[in-house]
Amino acid sequence: MPPHGMPQPGYGVPPGYPPQRAYGPPQMYPGPVYPAPGYRYVPPAPPPPVRFSVGTHRVHWATAPLRAFTIMIVYFVLLGFPLLMTRTSDGAAVSFSPVVLLRFLIVSLVVGAGAVAAGLWGWLGLRFRIEGDDLVVENGLLRRRVRRIPLSRIQAIDVVRPLVTRVFSLAEVRVELAGGEQSEIPFRYLGRRAAGDLRAELLARAAGLPGHTPEAPERPVYRVPFGTLLGGLVLRLPVIATFLLMIFSLVFLIAFRELAMLAVALPALLGLIRAVIAPMVMYANFTVAVSPDGVRLRYGLLETRMQTVPPGRVQAVSVVEPSIWRGPGWARLDVTVAGYAGERQALSSTLLPAAPRAVVAQLVALVFPGTNFDAVPLLPASQRGMTVDRADGAGTDDVIFVARHGWLCRRTDIIAHARAQSVRLTVNPVQRLLGLATVHVDAPPGLVQVAAADRDLGEARAIVESTALRARSARAASGDTAHWAARQNQAR
Amino acid sequence: MVYPVAEQQAGAAGYPAAEAFEPGAGLVWSRISSRYPWHRRIAALVRAIPVAAVGAFLLWRGGGTLAALLWVVGVLAVLVVSWVAVEIAYRSYGYAERGDDLIVTSGVFVRRLIVVPYGRMQFVDVTAGLLERWMGLSTVRLHTAAAATDAVIPGLPAAEAALLRDRLARKGEERSMGL
Repeated sequence: MPPHGMPQPGYGVPPGYPPQRAYGPPQMYPGPVYPAPGYRYVPPAPPPPVRFSVGTHRVHWATAPLRAFTIMIVYFVLLGFPLLMTRTSDGAAVSFSPVVLLRFLIVSLVVGAGAVAAGLWGWLGLRFRIEGDDLVVENGLLRRRVRRIPLSRIQAIDVVRPLVTRVFSLAEVRVELAGGEQSEIPFRYLGRRAAGDLRAELLARAAGLPGHTPEAPERPVYRVPFGTLLGGLVLRLPVIATFLLMIFSLVFLIAFRELAMLAVALPALLGLIRAVIAPMVMYANFTVAVSPDGVRLRYGLLETRMQTVPPGRVQAVSVVEPSIWRGPGWARLDVTVAGYAGERQALSSTLLPAAPRAVVAQLVALVFPGTNFDAVPLLPASQRGMTVDRADGAGTDDVIFVARHGWLCRRTDIIAHARAQSVRLTVNPVQRLLGLATVHVDAPPGLVQVAAADRDLGEARAIVESTALRARSARAASGDTAHWAARQNQAR
Repeated sequence: MVYPVAEQQAGAAGYPAAEAFEPGAGLVWSRISSRYPWHRRIAALVRAIPVAAVGAFLLWRGGGTLAALLWVVGVLAVLVVSWVAVEIAYRSYGYAERGDDLIVTSGVFVRRLIVVPYGRMQFVDVTAGLLERWMGLSTVRLHTAAAATDAVIPGLPAAEAALLRDRLARKGEERSMGL
């Protein structure tokens, strides 16, 4: 136990941060007494945070009207608007004759009542509470479905605010669990403050701290400037090639009045929108911060997201350096988190969309503490290699395994030994002729798959054995990742 | 602490290329049942007969006897090739239980060697199809959180498969940890 006043690493209230607040009724203001007898002024205190660990909770009541409203919009587009149309001699036109209006009103009222009922039903049906180490989610009014989720299985918590709900200051909390189907628990929607409280509470509980621990303070690491993001998205060979193709086809289209060139120009334009505009909107205002309860990301122009990845949940990362980016020294950081499956994996697998390489290296060091992947000596792959995606080199230290490959776009894949699931050695027919092999260090499904290709066969087997050995000692040292804060406190 | 590059090279010296797919450390591969190739052959035969019959019949109706005959010969040729290939595949399978992990080797076209730590096993499957059950065989499949792991040991005698599963489950439980 260090003497008091010493800065303590890890979780807990750090020096300089206000101590934990005691919860109770709002304090009466003792100041100047107002003239009216018996009247005491109560200053407008911020509402006390919702304590989710006590009692059963529901999502925000505004969810019900919001859902009803959504149903009504869908109804109007699909059925309501056609109801307003009447057939005329040359097609259909919108007309407001009494008969049509009456018909429309009756149908709308019925659907509206149904929509309100559905909204209420959904709102009343979803209840959740925290019981000990479990998050309990109850669904349904008549047929009740209860899910009990151990908090230690939480892989990440996202707070998402789609554009529509931002107007009403609502937010969605998504709890990501490891493994398989329905591994995501969405809470649609909570009040903005309540969402933050729930997130903090779940993370604190998962870390093994009492539920009313205040939100862990965070330290900003990097904010991606607009220029870097735009430049990074544009300065990629495929993007530039597509752009040139589009310009070329447009010139051809105008010069020779050849409309068929639209078949080239339009897909190229769509591709550009997908590759540049969409990520631009999605990753705008990208901010990375670290706090004891994990890495926090905030981003989004229309739909804002806040992701928290608790420590030890990042399985593998990949530093991606497209050819042109090496000029200004930029890199992208992709990541595999066990919680995100399928589509969400692709959506939330970027830890930094574009940043100077030094920042990326710093973030990797935060994700895998005590490492510097640039300092890991890489053994060059065999010269005889025939792999298209040119293998560059691979190396390892006590904590991480690093493999670099790529011809134009260079990727450096990094996995922590403690996170490796299995080690594989594969030899395909071409490699067998050349006496080479590939060593895979398997991570859970995701963008990042670590493999050292084109090693000499004997060396490859030696790498397999040494990696297995290191993984064993790393696992023994790191132990289970649940209740990380509580164990850190015990260790102290 | 960063390991010097030399350590990996020293390790390489300990593994001649010829022994890259040996279990190492004085262990020998546990082999799968010799009934396995027969299982594969019967399965191939069961599939080949209808393919040959239906194809030959259609060709005979449409074209002539020669085409039908060629079809049957073709199917037979594939059958003969697989007859031999199954033997090679059978010999490629092997597994060994080490102190902290299970190693499995397999593959003819692409040679594989998988090291699965006991602590990483999420669950162990034992499956047996109709034909397998009739021949008293089972397939043991190991699942980790990584989909790529895909460690499969087919053609184990049913009793041995059950014992292996129980041993793996016990060792996995002893060393289990989260993700």
